[in-house]
Amino acid sequence: MGKIGTHKLKSKIDFIIRVAGEGGEGVMSCGELFAKAVARTSYHVFTFITYPTEMKGGYAMTQIRIKDITIYSMGSFVDCLVAFNQEAYDKSIPYLKEGGILIYDPEFTKIDESRKVIKYPIPFSKISVDTIGRPLGKNVVVLGILSHIYGLELPGLEKLIDDRYGSKGEKVVEGNIRALKEGSNAAAKMGVLTVMDLSKSEPANEDYMFISGNQAVALGAIAAGCKFSAGYPLTPATSIFETLSKFLPYVGGKTIQMEDEIAAISAIIGASFGGEKVITPTSGPGLQLMSEQMSLASMLELPIVIVDVQRGGPSTGLPTKTEQGDMKFAVYGSAGESPRIILAPTNVEDTFYQTIRAFNLAEKYQMPVILLTDQSIGYRKATVKMPDFSKIFQVDQYDRKKKVKIPQADQIELVQRQVPTEEELRDYKRYKNTKTGISPISRPGTPGGQYLATGLEHDEYGKTNQGPENHLAMSKKRFRKLDEVSKAFEKNPMETYGDPNVRIGIMGWGSTEGAIREARYLAEQAGVKIRHIHPHTISPLPERQISKFLHRLKHLILVEENLTGQFAHFIKAKFGVKPIEVHKCEGMPFTPDEIFNAIMKVARIADEDNITNI
Amino acid sequence: MKTISQTFNTYKSKTIKPVWCPGCGDYGVLAALDKTFKTLEFKPEDIAIVSGIGCSGRFSHYFNSYSLHGTHGRALPTATGLKTVRPDLHVVTIGGDGDGLSIGGGHIAHAARKNVDLTYIILDNNVYGMTKGQSSPTTPLEYNTKTAPYGVYEEALNPIAMFLSYNISYIARTTSTDMKAMHSILTEAIQHKGFSMVYIMSPCVTYSVLPYAKLKDMVKPLPEDFDPSDKMSAFKYAYSDEHMYTGVFYKEEKSSLEERLTKVFNIAEVSKTTSEIMEEFK
Repeated sequence: MGKIGTHKLKSKIDFIIRVAGEGGEGVMSCGELFAKAVARTSYHVFTFITYPTEMKGGYAMTQIRIKDITIYSMGSFVDCLVAFNQEAYDKSIPYLKEGGILIYDPEFTKIDESRKVIKYPIPFSKISVDTIGRPLGKNVVVLGILSHIYGLELPGLEKLIDDRYGSKGEKVVEGNIRALKEGSNAAAKMGVLTVMDLSKSEPANEDYMFISGNQAVALGAIAAGCKFSAGYPLTPATSIFETLSKFLPYVGGKTIQMEDEIAAISAIIGASFGGEKVITPTSGPGLQLMSEQMSLASMLELPIVIVDVQRGGPSTGLPTKTEQGDMKFAVYGSAGESPRIILAPTNVEDTFYQTIRAFNLAEKYQMPVILLTDQSIGYRKATVKMPDFSKIFQVDQYDRKKKVKIPQADQIELVQRQVPTEEELRDYKRYKNTKTGISPISRPGTPGGQYLATGLEHDEYGKTNQGPENHLAMSKKRFRKLDEVSKAFEKNPMETYGDPNVRIGIMGWGSTEGAIREARYLAEQAGVKIRHIHPHTISPLPERQISKFLHRLKHLILVEENLTGQFAHFIKAKFGVKPIEVHKCEGMPFTPDEIFNAIMKVARIADEDNITNI
Repeated sequence: MKTISQTFNTYKSKTIKPVWCPGCGDYGVLAALDKTFKTLEFKPEDIAIVSGIGCSGRFSHYFNSYSLHGTHGRALPTATGLKTVRPDLHVVTIGGDGDGLSIGGGHIAHAARKNVDLTYIILDNNVYGMTKGQSSPTTPLEYNTKTAPYGVYEEALNPIAMFLSYNISYIARTTSTDMKAMHSILTEAIQHKGFSMVYIMSPCVTYSVLPYAKLKDMVKPLPEDFDPSDKMSAFKYAYSDEHMYTGVFYKEEKSSLEERLTKVFNIAEVSKTTSEIMEEFK
């Protein structure tokens, strides 16, 4: 990962389609069916969706990017815009490239005729009414139009329609297929140009999945050997629990829906005490409710994994929109000092591997691990390479010295918690104050392994002890594990990209990685070289690595999706630097263009500095 | 431990001794639970005790079992998670009237809906004893406590009526002074399939809201001809103003969470490998 200069800059195919309309109009299903059809070719697909909190009404859109090489972000401007209504048009038209394709329904949308775009007024609502008697099939009519423009074959789409609507009955499927054909025919009749022929592309390499970030968490958990999840529905994390509920039983796992988030985290603590690998998915408001129990897990030294799919806050905030607003709470939200690990995946594929890593870290170091994703990753769908299942290894439960590698497609090591040896069971100290701070956990049912796990301060046996020396010793023991984590993180490869000799650096965390990476490529094309660091481990940070990165920098740009610069506070406090902070607090992810503009501004400042220095 | 022979004299911890006040009702419950484990011939390593916070929360400390002493009010969902993944363990959950009915009160309804196969013992002393005398959900109206020095302004809960309306599948009430009743109820409750609630009146001797003498006057066993499958009749006795009835109020045979989840496995029918699951996302 992250070798300098290995990326392919030039791609032959790279286009972006946005379908915009109102919630409940089928914008999502239209986009998803199109994306799914393309995912079956050899192209990479990346989708981003945003929709209102309400079930019906309000602006909703899905954006699909198709490229012949890896896609890092949803892009900045679109090549083709489908507007279902006036609001959708007004909100999206600024993002349509000059010369791009605009498809709209003239019955519902008045457009600015002076725009230099290719305009196709197609009455898709009327076509739907004429075909199936209702306007609701217009999303499928649009799908037909798009298939004409991008040369997707209808039989493939018909199969996908059958998969999606089959449960609603033959009549619905048949109506939708007719609407699809009518859409395609209407486009042909109106002389709409076919701009490319996706059907001529190679069929997909069999080794790819097309999954969302939330599905990646669920699949990562299953791959890691998770056997239990307790959850409470909370947007935008809910589909993780839904996916686990569907698939965990296949691998002998169980899920239970609880009455609230406090009960959910309590249940996974109980199940972890029972010896199983556990996870609970939530979002910011749920994480707040869980905080007391997170501290309990730190105190009992039980492995648990919590996923926070961040959304706009505070309070109910923007449930269906993205924000990097929970970092400080995740790191610091605790009464008393309780060690925990915070990981921040950068994209859909990475989410899969970081989830496995979260389980490994939790099981090895016996503490909560919080995986901080966000709505933009959770709801994003991308083509992800299938891991090599022949390269999954279980780490021996008695191997206490084993250095575990970060899980990757070509090798996944699965950690299980250390168990006591027979010798240790003779006088079992559950909280033995070892050199690493890690003490083996006995599984209930093991004779001689009985112990008390109490949230009260305790001694090595687990017995309550409130003495001053004991409290200091046990606090140190718990935090020694975090030092071990820190040491392990420093030994990982540096998560830096770009020219190591330049004086401008950019730093981000989590889901902004793709947009920053693309902005860096754009800057390179414009003659500005920068380097980029993007730690996956927010806490503990690989401090030596970051110091090394910061060492020769003159300007540091710090990018994050919130108002106050939470990560920047963290970095400023730890490293005494004064970064130029770029924040976005609009519920939407950064586009590469926005970051590129920031880089160019800083480059100009850097130039002026050079002049004054002379 | 290896030193313990196959028949156990006691399941109590050898190293941790109770810290309750002399005369506390909880001593009696501790002895009754120990005796019950003996009767049922459990192996100590197969017993899991989960408790909350308060005097009753210390129960988990006093047994040589797998014990989890968690946070205030969360013993029940914690035990639910444990029992779900480890149906082979005998899970006993213990809390007080504050832990179980105030901060953790919301969890009981949902454990009841799941009919999770565990026993929940609530020890009611009508007061927050460990924190030295504040009002609890069962402190009577107008009684003076440290947090209601001019009299409690909330009505006391009627826990048995509440449990009946939650459809808990086994509900019994007894007192910490009645060793025989505690032993027989606990034995039956632990063997009951599904969620069993054992409500024990365990007076506090330091903040004596309901002294032993008064309790003795109040309690009366349910009539001999009482039918514990008759819920309406159970409600009548639960709401009695005259007496505090003791005995088994209700029991019902219905599917447990484990059985319901096993049904999920049957629906899932075949087991799949991770790679087979991931194939479905192609």
